[in-house]
Amino acid sequence: MSNALRILTVDDSASMRALLLHALSSRGFDVVQADDGQAALQWLVTNDVDVIITDINMPRLDGFGLIERLRSGERHCDRPILVLSTESSDEKKARARAAGATGWIVKPFDADKLVAAVRRVAH
Amino acid sequence: MTPEEIQQIFFVECEESLAAAEAGLAACRDGTQDDDTVNSVFRAVHSIKGGAGAFGYAGLQAYTHTFETLLSDVRDGSVPLSETLCSLLLRALDTLSDHVTAAQEGTALPDDAALLAELSAAQANGAPAEKTPAPVEAKTEAPAAPAAPAVADDDDDDLAGAEIDLDALLDDLVGPAPTAEPATAAAAPAPGWQLHLHPHAGAMRNGAEPMTLLRELASMGARCVSCNLSHLPGLDMLDCEQGYLGFTYELPASVAESDATDVFDFVRDDWGIAVGNDAAMPPVEITAKQPASEAAAVAVVPPVAPVQADAPDAVPAAAAPATTATAAAAAAASSAPVAPAAGQSIRIDLAKLDRLIDTVGEMVIAQAMLAQRLEGDTAAKEELQMLEGLTRDIQESAMSIRAQPISSVFSRVPRILRELAVSTGKHVRLEVLGETTELDKTVLERLGEPLTHLIRNAVDHGIESADQRLAAGKPAEGTLTLSAEQRSGRILIKVADDGKGIDRARVLEKAIAQGIVAAENQLTPEDIDHLIFAPGFSTAQTVTSVSGRGVGMDVVRQNVKNLGGRITIESEAGVGTTFTLALPLTLAISDGMIVNVGDQTLVVPLTHVVESLRPTAQDVQGLGTARQMLNVRGRFVPIISVAQQTGYHGKQVQANEGVLIIVDTQVAGQAALLVDTISDQRQFVIKSLEANYRAVEGVAGATILGDGRVALILDVDSLVGGALGHSSAIREAA
Repeated sequence: MSNALRILTVDDSASMRALLLHALSSRGFDVVQADDGQAALQWLVTNDVDVIITDINMPRLDGFGLIERLRSGERHCDRPILVLSTESSDEKKARARAAGATGWIVKPFDADKLVAAVRRVAH
Repeated sequence: MTPEEIQQIFFVECEESLAAAEAGLAACRDGTQDDDTVNSVFRAVHSIKGGAGAFGYAGLQAYTHTFETLLSDVRDGSVPLSETLCSLLLRALDTLSDHVTAAQEGTALPDDAALLAELSAAQANGAPAEKTPAPVEAKTEAPAAPAAPAVADDDDDDLAGAEIDLDALLDDLVGPAPTAEPATAAAAPAPGWQLHLHPHAGAMRNGAEPMTLLRELASMGARCVSCNLSHLPGLDMLDCEQGYLGFTYELPASVAESDATDVFDFVRDDWGIAVGNDAAMPPVEITAKQPASEAAAVAVVPPVAPVQADAPDAVPAAAAPATTATAAAAAAASSAPVAPAAGQSIRIDLAKLDRLIDTVGEMVIAQAMLAQRLEGDTAAKEELQMLEGLTRDIQESAMSIRAQPISSVFSRVPRILRELAVSTGKHVRLEVLGETTELDKTVLERLGEPLTHLIRNAVDHGIESADQRLAAGKPAEGTLTLSAEQRSGRILIKVADDGKGIDRARVLEKAIAQGIVAAENQLTPEDIDHLIFAPGFSTAQTVTSVSGRGVGMDVVRQNVKNLGGRITIESEAGVGTTFTLALPLTLAISDGMIVNVGDQTLVVPLTHVVESLRPTAQDVQGLGTARQMLNVRGRFVPIISVAQQTGYHGKQVQANEGVLIIVDTQVAGQAALLVDTISDQRQFVIKSLEANYRAVEGVAGATILGDGRVALILDVDSLVGGALGHSSAIREAA
């Protein structure tokens, strides 16, 4: 069992998933990926992670919905959740905060900044 | 995975997004303007923008940004989605597609200036005046309200809680710096600056950990110079979820203020922050019960301008919409449609797939050989049947991997029609049926070109101008109908227009003038229609960029033929023309009936076979001297002797001695093929005769039988067509 931080990325874009996987696994993180909020939610019922990184705009269940669902349960209410989005408006950030996000990363992300953001919230 | 591979994924994704956006916009134009549809368009463009930024395609990113900004306003309802706007968005999508292509191929960016102006104008017209499109790299500035922090109430001298040993905590905070005592500014390097931080109760919510942020600050070279303990209550009153402590950090001048405050960017609501040596510690916020996110006391003041004003009740605007946003998000989450799971998928190299199909093909042959070898072996019968079933299953699975819905080809048609509308001035409505019909990927890929030709041809030659249509009592807008369906082992694709139909007199005149047919030939209307497939044939009065160079239709015919398919025409003057492409389901393996004719074993593709029967003498009736007809339940179909047609010179069976196979043909309806016996029905792997020998009239290819012998596969259409003298003149001409 490695003690690398385990990160769940949630994004409906295959290229974004590939970028995240590349950026994070090459820096020693253990990476798990989900295609949308619904898939992430299902996976998280039985699995644990250290940090969740989620996109906002996704089919089925979007990022805000995912965060709210996780916060309303016992299991993941204290899980660090980073929002990864192309949007950088204060309104969206406020909404993410209200939903219960822990941090915000703007796409396109710089791999080092992404890792710094992950470390910033990882307990 | 290499960066190139990731980029490749991005471009595949772009195509999917473009298709989704196009489908969504087309639905919008046709009246479906619900949130899901509009959102799907927005999400598609948004996704391309995200990738464009990540992969550094600045042109693509800038373009999608403007596009997305407009879509965002449409989504919010601030710009109404009129028909005009739909068509603008569709045009914008075409340019987006060009942008993607430019990015992928590294070619020059498309000229999008005019379109960008139109998009911005459309947005400005609909949106409130203050909402102007933001630049791409819109940096969100901190709300730099000069709201001064409230003066810390320092009258409270009760430091009962101060005796708690905080050394360990502070050591952690200040990193390498040893001092944990409130230090004076003089002890620090002179040109530094101070940051006052006060995490509130909410700073621990949502998985946030204030300590990690302070640690990051320390990693920038910040030192904690004092800790404000003045609000720490007695131990009995201590609520571990409240923020009692205030910290003053000193940062070296080399650290920019924005870099330091950026650390707290996302949690500003939950922290009191003040910058400046003389700024006061932000007030403590002890909340009674619910950790609230209101009243973020953010105060960023430049170090040079100390503020000593009394605290106004500065409440940043962000807090108010936050609660409504929560409600909206909750509503959105609960009403989100639970769409069927978008199937898990993997991408594989096509070459690997082809190898699999080839191997399955060989396995089918090996299985047939084994079955032949063990024929009559009752002990192995059950296992053989099992093997045959499994082989078939594997083959079907392998084929289904290659199958894709034809919508991927059909979805390109709207763009073709838009471009044709510009170049010909003819507006054509598109109707699509059966777009979920699945075809082999190779067939699909090679279908694009002939289909494009047919569509261009239909719009250019078939559909009349608006004036002519109105004069003929038709609606001004023409209709093009594309349909796909699977029928008896074939895929039928139809391209139908409601135009003027083929002008047969002119086609014949041209064909004679161009020496394609002799003037004395008696041609049926169908034969004349098929003349347009002859090489070099063109009736267009003027050569246009759309069609009219006479290289179109024979290429279409050849392409379809190469796919093992056929193309036929039905045309009626004034009503319209329908082109029907009949294509095989797969290119590699088919089902066939193994028949014997004389000493030859031949294969009749099962796709043609309707039924087979042994006729009695009464069922067969003569028609003239040369032809016999078969009475099939009161209907007469011509009998064609395969032996005769293939030039067999041995003894030939009579119709009432052999077996008749009723086949369906595209050229001449039904016919009955006369063979000696039917010996088997099985799968066969098609091997090209043309590639290994040469093309032979009436033979579609060859295959290897279970006993290792080569058998020819009959080309039923040409065999029947030839026997009945149907369009043979054309066949030779083409």
